[in-house]
Amino acid sequence: MSDLIRTMALSASGMRAQSARLGHVAENIANADTPGYRRKLVSFEAVAGQGNAGGEVRTGPVRLDRSELPEIFDPANPLSDDRGLYRGSNVDLLVEIADARQAQRSYEANLKMFDQARQMTSSLFELLRR
Amino acid sequence: MDIRAKLAEQTYLSARPATEATAKPDGPAQVFGEVAQQFAATLQEGEATARAAMAGGADPHALVEALAQTELAVQTAVTLRDKVVEAYQEILRMPV
Repeated sequence: MSDLIRTMALSASGMRAQSARLGHVAENIANADTPGYRRKLVSFEAVAGQGNAGGEVRTGPVRLDRSELPEIFDPANPLSDDRGLYRGSNVDLLVEIADARQAQRSYEANLKMFDQARQMTSSLFELLRR
Repeated sequence: MDIRAKLAEQTYLSARPATEATAKPDGPAQVFGEVAQQFAATLQEGEATARAAMAGGADPHALVEALAQTELAVQTAVTLRDKVVEAYQEILRMPV
């Protein structure tokens, strides 16, 4: 019983982490054209058990992608230097979309686990009722 | 300040819980009371989370989790109550 309740708490923590990840992906996509923007990377870490059994997941500190910012040729841009180049953002839209899809799939998996635990508990009580 | 007095005080404080009266062994009434208290606590937690989510404070995952737990707790309580009432009626129907 308490295991099933715990399963629901774990799945909820997974869903929370995946939605935080999706939020960072949206942030990256929104800033894809911002000059000098570095894409944000989100990491997951297991919550150490403090009084509870642990096993939950949470998002760790946000890190910035340290890869080289691409140089874009646009002499009309006020940020461009004497060669007509300025630094764009290192957001790759394809990578971001793949990341968003992965977050969606993981969210669905957590949702399924939540529903599974709820159905198992309900069917257990159904047995008691008849 | 005298360190010995402080030490004696600490020793006394740590020894005091051993001299306290022990609780009575768990009877059925106490167990039922604890179950009822846990049930009420689960319900209150669910309501508090729902209120916070309405006000925009809590995230929807916590709301769904708390509501599912509350639903299961209510189902358990209702099932147990039905069983108890059924048993009582069974006794009443006994031919004397």
